[in-house]
Amino acid sequence: MPERGILGSRSTTRREVLTLGVGAAAYAMSRSGASAQDNTFRFGLTPVFLSNDLELLKLLRDYLSSAIGGSVELVTRRTYQEITALLVAGQLHGAWICGYPYVQFKADLDLVATPSWHGKPLYQSYLITSAGREIADWRELRGDIHAFSDPDSNSGSLVTRALLAENGLQSHSFFSRTFYTYGHRNVIRAVASGLAQSGSVDGYVWEVMLEIEPRLVEQTKIVRRSEWLGFPPIAAPKSLAGDPRVASLRNALISMPKDVDGRKVLALLRLDGFVKTDPGLFDAIAAKVETVRRFG
Amino acid sequence: MKLLGRLRAIPVSYRVPFSVALLMVVISAAISERVLDRLSRTQESFLAGLVGSYLDGLSASVLPAVLRGDVWEVFDALDRSESSYAALSPIETVVTGIDGKVLAASDPKRIPTYADLPLHYLTRYGADPVTLDEKALTGFARRDLMYQGQEVGTIHAAFDVSHLFAERREILVTLLVTNGVLAGLFALGGFLLVRRMISPMRVLENHMRAAAHGSARPIPPSEFPSRDGEAASLFKGYNVLVHAERERADLAMQLAEEEKLASLGRLASGMAHEINNPLGGLFNAIDTLKTHGTTPGVRDTSISLIERGLQGIRDVVEAALATYRPERSARPLAPEDFDDVRLLMTPELRRRRQRLACSVDWGDGGAKSIEGGPVRQALLNLLLNASAATPEGGEIGLHACRTNEHLRIEIVDQGPGMPYDSIVMLTAPSPGSVVRAGLGLGLWMVRRMIDELGGSATVASRSEGGTAVLLVLPVRREETQDEQSHAA
Repeated sequence: MPERGILGSRSTTRREVLTLGVGAAAYAMSRSGASAQDNTFRFGLTPVFLSNDLELLKLLRDYLSSAIGGSVELVTRRTYQEITALLVAGQLHGAWICGYPYVQFKADLDLVATPSWHGKPLYQSYLITSAGREIADWRELRGDIHAFSDPDSNSGSLVTRALLAENGLQSHSFFSRTFYTYGHRNVIRAVASGLAQSGSVDGYVWEVMLEIEPRLVEQTKIVRRSEWLGFPPIAAPKSLAGDPRVASLRNALISMPKDVDGRKVLALLRLDGFVKTDPGLFDAIAAKVETVRRFG
Repeated sequence: MKLLGRLRAIPVSYRVPFSVALLMVVISAAISERVLDRLSRTQESFLAGLVGSYLDGLSASVLPAVLRGDVWEVFDALDRSESSYAALSPIETVVTGIDGKVLAASDPKRIPTYADLPLHYLTRYGADPVTLDEKALTGFARRDLMYQGQEVGTIHAAFDVSHLFAERREILVTLLVTNGVLAGLFALGGFLLVRRMISPMRVLENHMRAAAHGSARPIPPSEFPSRDGEAASLFKGYNVLVHAERERADLAMQLAEEEKLASLGRLASGMAHEINNPLGGLFNAIDTLKTHGTTPGVRDTSISLIERGLQGIRDVVEAALATYRPERSARPLAPEDFDDVRLLMTPELRRRRQRLACSVDWGDGGAKSIEGGPVRQALLNLLLNASAATPEGGEIGLHACRTNEHLRIEIVDQGPGMPYDSIVMLTAPSPGSVVRAGLGLGLWMVRRMIDELGGSATVASRSEGGTAVLLVLPVRREETQDEQSHAA
């Protein structure tokens, strides 16, 4: 029964669930993959994505189809974990994932391209709280109900836990309660509504949403900005390294600003374009993973 | 009771429409109450259905999240349901977990997550699916979240129900206005209808009022209702009554006239006797004059006899004239009238060998308001009755005393007492029954005289035997004053 599964997930560790999830997803995909057409290019999107804007999805699919050639299927899931599992299992030809899963599964993944925002493939993680709250330092967030985005999100979870770990703190003792919203926009909603007193959110998402939904975002304010970190990249499984469509994907992404439809997609995403980056861009994130592993 | 009395004092043509209007108000109040009651039931069952579906939908969407203790999912479901169930106007929804603590509220700033649910949330529910707080215009409902037969959480919901009460108010106002207009129309219609219905009764009432003041007139055919058979038969009945009354009055007048003539006859025979007596003497005197007229002593004696005899005849004739000639009877009563009455009674008294004790204390002046004729006729009737009641050789009395206010006349006899009917005729406030029986028409004429002059009569038994009838007739003050000023 699905409820039993949901209950069961509360008592297992994240790693176990991830492994279990990867296996289950791989099994599910292998079964469904049998009936799927072999030439369909499957591209995964994590909830790091701004929103499930149908217009954006259609534009992106159309652009990728014409650039890569053949049909493209955009695969979305609720959690990072599900997309990561599918990608690692080779069920996706490529996916826009977060830097944290990338460094976790670096051995199994190839970096295809990294989005460029304000001229750099970098972004920050923000600690936010409600706009009316008088607060000078992130340490004053102690005792809050805190909203994280996703357990596998760098900006929505890892950066804050690493910050606490660096200061000899742990999230479950520093915050009175924490919960996951599985979306950066949801973190902003949770903080704005008062459901959570503070939250960890993707700086890029917060800034872009400030333009798109100022009434919502203005109910929150930034308590702390992290250092600049590698922007969530587009990755492909190493097992498909030989697939020419992965190379086509990279070209399509990098040449996006040159195409009319590509510029439309970038305009909606508020991005400059995509650049080829070195895996070393994500070393800072890998260091945070290590910090958390050691002290968290 | 006072109010009821006042209501009764209102004329029926206003009372009936007022009653109709009042009845309409009562009926409309009862109908309004029923309509509002029905409306509120319908509204409440509609609201209960709406709330039920809201809670069903919400339960389904939050149950997995409640089982996981997933704060965000619960909040997200609440947040989305607010726009999905806009018709219900949810004010606040709170979901508690298995431990009773808040998982998420639609407004987390008011009810924070992981806090204890405020106590009044648990006590605000009644037996109905939706509890209404009319003061706060809010409805409350709760739903336990069940999973495998166990309670894993609860949804507490509050809704804005001001629109329900606004609708009720609007319908109440509509009912009041509609019923008010209807009641007004019915009252007006009732007023006009009742006025039309009772208009024949008003005609009858006016005629009866006039009749009560002494001028009973039949209702003319022009005032008869054209179609109302019931009223027309009443009118006819009334007219028959008036005609009968008139006939009876005419008959009474006729009888009185006859009585008058009868008494006149008796008096005339007495008078004839009175005239006849001196006539014998007169003829004797004339014969004496014829035979011994030349003798101075005899002649003078005879002439003196003739003169006295003729004087006696003249007195009798003058008294009769004063009593029975209408132009003379209209003049005011004077002491001389008592002398006339005494003179007119003389033959009857002589016949019965009775005496008349007469005393008149008149003082100065007259009595202009009292006509002499009817009083003399009345006194004559009473004295004739007194004479008839008194044994032969007895004595009757006539005593008059005039003061500034009253003229008191007492007639006494030595009879066995006056019959009851006669006393009723003279003294009762309304001697109708005795009059209708045709008894004592002479006394009835006395009574009429008393009533017309505004006087009164009393009948009393005398200690020495016999009866005393006392008449008290008012003398108008101004005329006594006139007299006094003239005297001065």
